[in-house]
Amino acid sequence: MGDPLFAHGVGLSVVVIVLVRALVAFGFLLVAVMLMIWFERKVISDMQNRIGPNRTGKFGILQTLADGAKLMFKEDLLPERADRVVFRLAPFLSVVPAFLIFAIVPVGGVVTIAHHVVELQVADPPVGILLVLALSSVAVYGVMLAGWSSGSKYPLLGSVRASAQMISYEAALGLTVVTVILESHGLSTRAIVDSQARYFWHWNALRLWFVPFVIFFIAGTAELNRPPFDLAEGESELGGGFHTEYSSMRFAMFYLAEYMNTITMSAVVVTLFFGGPDGPGFHVVRWLWPILWFLAKLVVFLYVQVWIRAALPRLRYDQLMNLGWKWLIPISLGWLLLVAADQISRDWGFGVFGGIILAGIALARARTTARHRRENLGGEAAPGGDGGPVVLELTDHSAGGG
Amino acid sequence: MGSLDSYLPIFVLLVLGVLFAALSIGVSRLLGPRRPHAAKGAPYECGIVPTNELPRRFPVRFYLIAMIFVIFDIEIIFLFPWAVIYDQLGRFGLVEVIVFAGAVFVSFIYLVADGALDWGPARRARSFGSEPGRTTESAVRRVGAAGGRAE
Repeated sequence: MGDPLFAHGVGLSVVVIVLVRALVAFGFLLVAVMLMIWFERKVISDMQNRIGPNRTGKFGILQTLADGAKLMFKEDLLPERADRVVFRLAPFLSVVPAFLIFAIVPVGGVVTIAHHVVELQVADPPVGILLVLALSSVAVYGVMLAGWSSGSKYPLLGSVRASAQMISYEAALGLTVVTVILESHGLSTRAIVDSQARYFWHWNALRLWFVPFVIFFIAGTAELNRPPFDLAEGESELGGGFHTEYSSMRFAMFYLAEYMNTITMSAVVVTLFFGGPDGPGFHVVRWLWPILWFLAKLVVFLYVQVWIRAALPRLRYDQLMNLGWKWLIPISLGWLLLVAADQISRDWGFGVFGGIILAGIALARARTTARHRRENLGGEAAPGGDGGPVVLELTDHSAGGG
Repeated sequence: MGSLDSYLPIFVLLVLGVLFAALSIGVSRLLGPRRPHAAKGAPYECGIVPTNELPRRFPVRFYLIAMIFVIFDIEIIFLFPWAVIYDQLGRFGLVEVIVFAGAVFVSFIYLVADGALDWGPARRARSFGSEPGRTTESAVRRVGAAGGRAE
């Protein structure tokens, strides 16, 4: 269990390897974010029949760097009504977990450096994938506190929306991860990757019949607050969402965190469902091929993220909640039971399948009941939320306060 | 404490991340201009002078979602250790988790039937035709000429 690097205690060479691994991951993330933002802008502009950034460097590849430098020279505003401590803390809560999540992603195979067995990933703690869920929960605080501490209504609305959205999709995310653990028998990301090695039909996406992968991908995109789930930002209605009041480098931190999370989430999808660095290798420079395979898979998913952003319109809030609670959670729970039963025997699998069909009928019936109740209540909104219209009416609530 | 060794790289990365964020914010403080102005410190309101206080109250639905989330999160927390040793539990583990998931699912069904997870407006398809009695004047009366709130 755990990282073989620490099997013989912690010596100087181990510390050096640890530092090098962390620094490489750190550098990789920053460069990858820079390229990802450029890539997204370029691909989206292609899809929208525009040219996109083309002035800074070849193909505008240095655009992100220019933007970063510009933000550095901007005035750092602290709104009058802001909670000073929390307002300053929030960017850290957002960007630091974004750095950390990538630590558990296996980017390559296992190599031997100076008699140490080194896994090509920053860290391989025994809890592995749980760390991803834990850190992405911490990132919710960054978003929530940023909006709350701004002392302004649009950021507050954005942050409340974002927190509700992120916790809603976290349940589906967790359930699909459990499904993966059932198939791979371990929490450590290295164990998950190893269980999918050698052949592509060992990849979890295929072994689990794609459904958990699709759910994880949708829920992951929703966790990232990326389009079509970017209700927390909603430029057209909220001005910019939770980071409206932020400027200069503090804003840059949120932006950085968002793209870093996009990259990390795609890397986690590759790890959980597509074998991570698994792929055919050749006998020359053996250690390089897994890394190349990993990067190739990563780029595919990053492209899909951009593509989704260009293709889909933003969801309405009730659609967002319906998708999360009434579709993704029941389906992922049912699929989890199905996978578990199928591992016992075929007969149990069919039995559970029947049970899931019945549960689905019950759920459909429950939704009809809810709709009837809502329609019968009509326009008279019962206080406390018994099916009345739910809208974010600011003016109504603020009347008493002012 | 051998088992904590594998968190050492994560700690290193944590320090790097905090340093990076602190340094870049610090440098921008040195480089950026400092020209405070009352309008800059005011809450952003798309150019309108803010008139309303911050909302003290929020739709109860958001709190409800948080409560329901706790139920599901606890379910998932129990599922993780179960999934790790599932191959040792065998049939017993399956029956156990079906009972467990069934119990949670029944409460989920109740929540759905009760409309706890509905967010949409009460009446969906409202006709988009002109509403009688709604004119430009009525809208101005309701919203106020300056876009603020008329009591």
